[in-house]
Amino acid sequence: MKRKIIPAKMWITMTGVFTVLLIVFGSCAENQKIAAKSGAQLWAENCQRCHNTPSPASFSHSQWVTIGMHMQTRAQLTDKERDKIVAFLQQ
Amino acid sequence: MKRFHNLVYAVLGLCGLLAAANPARAQQTAADSSVLDRLTALEQQVADQKPGDSHFMVAGLTTFGFVSNKTTFTAPGAPGQIMRTNSFGDADHYELSPMLLWRHSNNLLVEFEPSFDGNTLGVNWANVTYFAAPGLQIRGGYFVVPFGIYNKRLAAGWIDKLAGDPNGFDMPGTDFGIGLSGGFPLGDMKWSYDVSLTNGLQLLPDGELQNAGIVDNNKGKMVSGRFSLLPFSNSCLEIGVSALHSNAGDAGSNFTSANVNMYGADINFVKSLDPILVNIKGQYNRIEVSRQTYPGQNDAPDYSFSNVSSAAFAQVSLRPTGADDKFLKNIEIAYRYSSYNTPANSTWGANSHQNDFGVDYWLNWRTVLKCTYSLSHAVSTANADQGGTLGITDVNAIYLQFSVEF
Repeated sequence: MKRKIIPAKMWITMTGVFTVLLIVFGSCAENQKIAAKSGAQLWAENCQRCHNTPSPASFSHSQWVTIGMHMQTRAQLTDKERDKIVAFLQQ
Repeated sequence: MKRFHNLVYAVLGLCGLLAAANPARAQQTAADSSVLDRLTALEQQVADQKPGDSHFMVAGLTTFGFVSNKTTFTAPGAPGQIMRTNSFGDADHYELSPMLLWRHSNNLLVEFEPSFDGNTLGVNWANVTYFAAPGLQIRGGYFVVPFGIYNKRLAAGWIDKLAGDPNGFDMPGTDFGIGLSGGFPLGDMKWSYDVSLTNGLQLLPDGELQNAGIVDNNKGKMVSGRFSLLPFSNSCLEIGVSALHSNAGDAGSNFTSANVNMYGADINFVKSLDPILVNIKGQYNRIEVSRQTYPGQNDAPDYSFSNVSSAAFAQVSLRPTGADDKFLKNIEIAYRYSSYNTPANSTWGANSHQNDFGVDYWLNWRTVLKCTYSLSHAVSTANADQGGTLGITDVNAIYLQFSVEF
């Protein structure tokens, strides 16, 4: 029996639909409890999802900004999470 | 006359005071000049150090170690053949990968990671990412295809809790193309996406897959993506699903119609249950290649098989981070079960599983010394008529591995 394969066009369509959903969901706001989280709390919660929590002393201020961008591409952090974590690590 | 004398005394006193004050003023002026010169020099140093938007840095990792390996192969009806090896370096595996990060601006990041694995000098990734908007990063170049969590997040030696990789998670690997990714809050929860459009996979004459490379082997492209949900507000649990579709046959070949579908699911749970940090990770991959007829080997007729592979791993690690003893809190124990099944009646068919037991010592947050004991058992389901090898392979290995992120 021939297996049914999902055509590439369907995948592209699904990607398009997803992009629309992305914009819609993108407008979803975080609640106050999440918005009030400190950089230290986000650092503890998010970094250890993959690796040990890094020491702020390990890198310079400028390096933490660059590493923050790198980690955002790896762990899909939200922009606010990235900014707060970097600000904490820069202290 | 007396008033005149008083006036003379006053003038003389004033002259005396001025005579006494001038050297002090001269010294003060010299001191001020010195301070101003120093201030000017410091201002110049600050100007030289002024952080601009552009920033370049080198990070990366290296891994090396020792492995003692015992492999027993038992062919049908024959006694087992034992082979032992002891190797430095190949503690699965030697790697030196300096990662070059160039922040062109606050919206543009270039990532390049060359890697030496003991045999070849390759590139793990080389891509540019544009941070277009909150929750939208656009990247292009050569990057890890978004599928599951192991390859993109957990494979690095200083992150992985065990010395080796679970079998069967090489695909879809790294590819050339473009991608979108981002994360969003969703009330108490959080979700993320990571999708890409790349050159894709290539089906080989024996039914195995590899990345097509920088020049695609057909006009079709590979669509891949992972979506994840973090249902709890403290991000302790992440559940992900992945899917992939690719045209895989070489243009003009007998495999023109060949397609590959991949499906995957992953889970990541990290929670501190004082004093123990509990870390559970797992992933399941399934690869389905559309039915094809493969050329016979060694004058055997053409043949076909159900080209479906699956791989899975489940891993748990425990670390007493809340312990008072410094030595104890840096110890982590880990266990991973993995299985990998490749198509029966192919020349590379086998059903295998592996158990890895590990004890790690963390010298600091990014430097680890691992000791892993690994037991694997594989039963061949290969097509002997096409040159496949039947038998059972057992491998026992002890790894000592050092890994550091720099």
